[in-house]
Amino acid sequence: MLSVEALKIRYGEVEAVRRVDLTVDSGEIIALVGANGAGKSSTLGAVAGLVPAASGKVIFDGADITGLTPEAIARKGVALVPEGRRIFASLTVADNLRLGGAVHQPAAEARLREEEMLELFPILRRYHRVKGGNLSGGEQQMLAIARALMGKPRMVLLDEPSLGLAPQLIDTVFDLIAELRRKGLTILLVEQNVALALEIADRAVVLANGEVVLSGTAKELASSDLVRQAYLGA
Amino acid sequence: MVAQQIINAVSLGGVYALLALGLAIVFSIVGLINFAHGELMTLSGYALLASLVLGLPFPVAVLVAVTCGALAAVAMERIAFRPMRGASVTSLLLTSFAVSSLLKVVFQNGISARPQAVAMPGWMTGAFSFGDFTIGVGPSISIVVSALALIALEVFLRRSVTGTAMRAAAEDFDVVRLMGIPASRIIATAFLLSGLLAGLAAMLWVAQRASVDPLMGFTPVLKAFIAAVVGGLGSLPGAVAGGFLLGIIEVLLQATLPATIAPYRDAIVLSGVIAVLLLRPQGLIPAVRVQRS
Repeated sequence: MLSVEALKIRYGEVEAVRRVDLTVDSGEIIALVGANGAGKSSTLGAVAGLVPAASGKVIFDGADITGLTPEAIARKGVALVPEGRRIFASLTVADNLRLGGAVHQPAAEARLREEEMLELFPILRRYHRVKGGNLSGGEQQMLAIARALMGKPRMVLLDEPSLGLAPQLIDTVFDLIAELRRKGLTILLVEQNVALALEIADRAVVLANGEVVLSGTAKELASSDLVRQAYLGA
Repeated sequence: MVAQQIINAVSLGGVYALLALGLAIVFSIVGLINFAHGELMTLSGYALLASLVLGLPFPVAVLVAVTCGALAAVAMERIAFRPMRGASVTSLLLTSFAVSSLLKVVFQNGISARPQAVAMPGWMTGAFSFGDFTIGVGPSISIVVSALALIALEVFLRRSVTGTAMRAAAEDFDVVRLMGIPASRIIATAFLLSGLLAGLAAMLWVAQRASVDPLMGFTPVLKAFIAAVVGGLGSLPGAVAGGFLLGIIEVLLQATLPATIAPYRDAIVLSGVIAVLLLRPQGLIPAVRVQRS
């Protein structure tokens, strides 16, 4: 469904991503793991169109989407839930959701979709008229995911969904991710918590210094010496 | 007398508020202080003059003039600012200075450097009387128009999807784009609204003076800029509050200062601005903005 080929990303003189190749098949959860600064978020940013690729290609559904604007990529059915959630703090939960589904469907359908989201995230129904900035971190993460789902994407890019959340909430968020996959969504997950990511993913790609150092099924990686020593602390 | 002064103060404040709001809307979305905002006002003034000279009925002429202001703002973005997208704040600022100077020269050489009289309808200079009170028609219309424009804008920003997206874009433009909402639509709408507000402000300004000249927009927009900064740059409620505050203080000082001190009015007002900014550097009602590297 998605393939990233020989992606390179530069910020001025700094090469944030030297070479990343990865593929995500329909209905899979792929985890992109690695240390801080390994190039995970930059890779997601390039897929979503927020970060320009210096070279390489991003192919979605057989079409080259490299260099398209973020809005064009979003309309093709790729939704990014950005790191740090970045919900609109001064807008109500309702308005955050409304914007998420504004351009992807007629207004009547968007209302039905919002109803589905409120079923999936009851907490958002309770705080429907509350400003996004007044929600807790976990609630904001739910809102950020629901907002991305409003546009009925076929693929979701999740950037560090566990960041800054209490352990209990992390479990809730990851249960939700598993639930979304059961519903047929394809997910590319960036996560610093490697153990957690490998638990939920089908396959995983390990990045270090902007390059893929290891990839394989989640099971293989969980038992590989490199991953165990470097990321799982075993 | 007091009632008349209050009306004048609110009326002037309303014009400043419309202009400050136009500056703030564009700033909140693209981070540009549009110094050519005053020329949008001047252009609307000339459009009113031309429409009246061509014999259009007054309400139609006003409609044409305000529309011209709005379209000119959209054209300005398309021609001058869009090619500069992603450029530094300084480059954008210089671009807006260039556009402003260019338009001033076009007005001076293409039309005339001297003020042109605009034939406003006679009833605009009339006055209502309630017992002892006499209230000018012009300032009253000005207050009503400003109030209606502010309400309409508020409804647009709260209720419509594009308006909501604009409020969101003021906070975090990239994420709005991630929702699939085109950046160019948001930016064009911001300029359209700022042009509409400049056009309306121009009508109210010309109504008070019955003339147009190439530098007409400079002073009011400078005041509006001060109002926007005092209110909190990029904050829309701040721009409105700043505009009214500035208008009211100016008229108040005008009415109460003894003749020997009156020439220092602007100096006194600006000292007040400095004081406000020393106490509240973010302005009276600071803008919500996500800081991002």
